[in-house]
Amino acid sequence: MHHAFLSQALAATLLGGTVLAAAPPAGSHYRLDPAKSSLQFTFLQAGAANTGRFPRFMVSLDFPGADPAGGQLDVVVYTLLLDTGDQDRDATLKSDDLFAVVRFPQAHFAADQIVKSGNGYEAIGKLTIRGVTHDARVPFSFRAAVEGGANVAYMTGKTLVRRLDYGVGQGEWKATDQAGNDVTVSFSLRLVPPAHPGSAQTNN
Amino acid sequence: MIAQTFHWIIVALIVVQVTLAEMADDLPAGMRKLTLLARHKSVGITILGLVILRLAWRWLNEHPPLPENLKRYEQALARCTHVALYVLLFAMPLSGWMMSSARGFPVSWFGFFQLPDLVPKSRPLYEVLLVTHHTLAWTLFVVIGLHVAGALKHHFVHRDDVLRRMLPFTRS
Repeated sequence: MHHAFLSQALAATLLGGTVLAAAPPAGSHYRLDPAKSSLQFTFLQAGAANTGRFPRFMVSLDFPGADPAGGQLDVVVYTLLLDTGDQDRDATLKSDDLFAVVRFPQAHFAADQIVKSGNGYEAIGKLTIRGVTHDARVPFSFRAAVEGGANVAYMTGKTLVRRLDYGVGQGEWKATDQAGNDVTVSFSLRLVPPAHPGSAQTNN
Repeated sequence: MIAQTFHWIIVALIVVQVTLAEMADDLPAGMRKLTLLARHKSVGITILGLVILRLAWRWLNEHPPLPENLKRYEQALARCTHVALYVLLFAMPLSGWMMSSARGFPVSWFGFFQLPDLVPKSRPLYEVLLVTHHTLAWTLFVVIGLHVAGALKHHFVHRDDVLRRMLPFTRS
């Protein structure tokens, strides 16, 4: 965020007024409205869909209008707090062989590129889970709205993550007959302007 | 012949069910327990299917009458035992299926297809269904005991062919 903003500001300074129009319009930066957002995951357990959610995560989005170039998305997910509604299953998923939440309490998606794709958009960047990073593309739909005078946005989508690519499944959990390799991560987010306009939300 | 086959397959599957359940009960949460319970659920659904087919067969086909020399209370007891068996063989898998739904572990039949959830995910409901499933299991064991005792009585006391005609590889 800082980087893109600074380079745009710098470009504006260097080139004068002509590129000012390219600067992100007011309201293009968003953070999460946690109360009205959800992040879920679904995987097959012995052929049956099991569903859980990540109740705590943070989102920082720069989305400069209809042309998403220059957009950025940063998502931090507290895997430590994953919740499938069953203590045994949660404990298993958090254990060293799966999410290993003691060593890796967070997953991170950092996209420095947003492109148009089909009817929606795609965030292109790096996904880190359990300390392993891979390139990832996350498709999403985006709808901006004005509610109570504030610029808000709704962002939904889902993406497939192969857990074994990220080492989520060591030892016996490398087998995929009891816990499938394909994990569908779906999100439905309500985004709101930053609490303090002008300052980016920090994730740490 | 068909009725016999249904009967003995269901007997074998009940033995499998009890074995899987006992093995899983002793294990901590983990892959092995999940594997055993997944099998237990698949076999349970198989039994449910077989019981439905068995009842359909019984309804469509004439089944042999009880021997005429039975006393009225004996006939009533035999009928009650059979009705209880069918009810329990129906209620056992159904309560297990509901239990799985309530705990948020949906049922798949051997990984081929997933069954819909019968009840919403709810821990308190799961606890109730767990007790129900166990109580039904013990009730089933008692009724099976009665059923076996009845069959043995036919064979050794009444000396009729009621037991013999259900045994495999025999023709009455």
